[in-house]
Amino acid sequence: MAEERRIGLPRSLLYHKFHTLWTTFFEELGWRTVTSPPTNRQLLERGVALAVDESCVPMKVFLGHVESLRGRCDAVFVPRVESLIESEHVCVKFMGAYDIVRNTLPDLPLVTYDVDAERGVHERASMLKLARELGAGPLKARRAYARATAAQRAHDVEMVRLQESALEARDPEAVRILVVGHSYSLADELIGKPILDYLGSLGVEVLTSDAIDKPKARELSRRISPTIKWTYNKELLGAIELYREHVDGIVFVVTFPCGPDSLMAELCQRRIEGVPIVTLVLDELQGEAGLRTRLESFVDIIRAKRTIAERARAHA
Amino acid sequence: MGEYWLPFSTLAEMMGAVPVVAPKMTRHTLEAGAHVSPEFVCVPFKYNMGNFLETLEGDVDVIVQAGGGCRFGYYGEVQDAILRDMGHSFELVNLFEARSLPTLLRDLRRVQPGVSYARIVRGFAVAWRQAQAIEAVEDFVRKNVGFERERGTMDRLVAAFLRELRPTRTLRGVARVRAEALGALAAVPLDKPEHPLRVGVVGELYVLMEPFANCGVERKLAEHGVEVHRFITLTSLVRSGLGGRKHVRHALDKAGPWVTYHLGADGTESVANTWELMNSGFDGMVHIKPFGCMPEVSAMSVLQRISREHTFPILFLSFDAQTAQAGVTTRVEAFCDMLEMRKRRHASA
Repeated sequence: MAEERRIGLPRSLLYHKFHTLWTTFFEELGWRTVTSPPTNRQLLERGVALAVDESCVPMKVFLGHVESLRGRCDAVFVPRVESLIESEHVCVKFMGAYDIVRNTLPDLPLVTYDVDAERGVHERASMLKLARELGAGPLKARRAYARATAAQRAHDVEMVRLQESALEARDPEAVRILVVGHSYSLADELIGKPILDYLGSLGVEVLTSDAIDKPKARELSRRISPTIKWTYNKELLGAIELYREHVDGIVFVVTFPCGPDSLMAELCQRRIEGVPIVTLVLDELQGEAGLRTRLESFVDIIRAKRTIAERARAHA
Repeated sequence: MGEYWLPFSTLAEMMGAVPVVAPKMTRHTLEAGAHVSPEFVCVPFKYNMGNFLETLEGDVDVIVQAGGGCRFGYYGEVQDAILRDMGHSFELVNLFEARSLPTLLRDLRRVQPGVSYARIVRGFAVAWRQAQAIEAVEDFVRKNVGFERERGTMDRLVAAFLRELRPTRTLRGVARVRAEALGALAAVPLDKPEHPLRVGVVGELYVLMEPFANCGVERKLAEHGVEVHRFITLTSLVRSGLGGRKHVRHALDKAGPWVTYHLGADGTESVANTWELMNSGFDGMVHIKPFGCMPEVSAMSVLQRISREHTFPILFLSFDAQTAQAGVTTRVEAFCDMLEMRKRRHASA
């Protein structure tokens, strides 16, 4: 092949969970991956213009990323997921992602795979099918998948390890906060990063719901909510259950008008006791000032409560 | 939800339980419900809470909730938590897991433990037929009320029909009342043109089936001389819910080149019906949904493209706790005027 073949990866939605899997997979198959830049204002504005008004912010951001890859690759990769684990579901936006993009940007060449574990359509078979569609032989496809999953696993394990060691290396004086939110929010340059950075600047030790053992988290989520079915929300609940006694406060990062989060946040406010929780609802008009004020007050209150508790102990 | 309180009451009574019917919806219902609901949860949740609050003021032991392929499946647990925190006590029977008729009947039994399956099945059969009768009557009215010569005739007949239907307890009884009502309705004098404006209404199930939630949009359309078609009904939903994936595959087929994978809940169906009706020569569609309903937002990406590329009129309406009637009235009026003008232009061309 004289010309290098390029696959475009939008740096949004599931990219933040699976980028190691995907880049390894495509590169093993001999395709160069081109990734969109971290979210910026222009990308967000384009996404807002392309999306249906009532779409959630992550979907708007996603469309901006997809469009930005036009002309920079031979096809943009937009996977479609309905269920990753039997008896569980993912958010309907992942079900619609491929068709939304296809109908919003009809001229853009796309490649996709479908995962619906509930109906026996598993990731491996779907990715091997995509590999063949991209012209790879079965042996090459299987090897690419094996290497990709191994790389992704190693990446995930490392993320957990880093957070666990941060937990152990605790500075007893520092306020520690668990930031809970979907990976595509927390890892996003415009959505989650300003929050994580700002908390850091306040001297807070930050743990995230993203760097956890996911299967363990999903198990633990049942203690908080027995009937919730969204895989990613189970992970968030599990993170809360895992860390609730190790943190001084929890910050929920919710993008407007997230369906699953609208209900999960409510349940958490009612069922989680013993640790203060603040819910931040972000829309695309978010000014940083308001956010900072709320975070600053939250941290101040935690510090104040701590001081009061310490003084009480000192007197006793 | 619509007039479905009637078959549900019958089912409860035939199982030996006492149905407590929520009072007719008012703004108060919605406001009270919204007040205790998460801010941007979809509006059917808020209506449910309003209904629960208004009935829990009385003596209620059991609340039944169902589920669907979207947030609806998670309503039960959260509503239960909110109501209990408010101090209410009741048992929640959550039908969201029921995937087959036997499991549905088994779950229903929790409403009246100890009742024989024979009674449940009989009650279910009668209630089912009652629901179908209501749907048949409403379908006829939807298509023809806009053309009745004497305004109010059909509404009076429907009121009488519901009164007659309420006490029926046998399949034969239901069939008789249904036949009488449809006969009477068919005899109502109409001034209906040979080719009236035909508009389909699609979207999310709750706002489709509860006229209060959609500001009476179907009636408003009809009153502009439109034959209104709507497809989603309670019985159609129960049938597709229990029928496994068959319904989804059928909808994907009907949606043609526009949808590759199921969009979730009623999303695929919204596109499928629109595409089918457009190809059958319908004059336009109205798409209705609660604010933020994600499967329908996904469908909208597709519908907007169909509308654009085929110059097919689609009116998009979104409902939440703040919707005022006037906005809907004006938009429906403008939409129908536009359809009328298009029709005349095509006729003269």
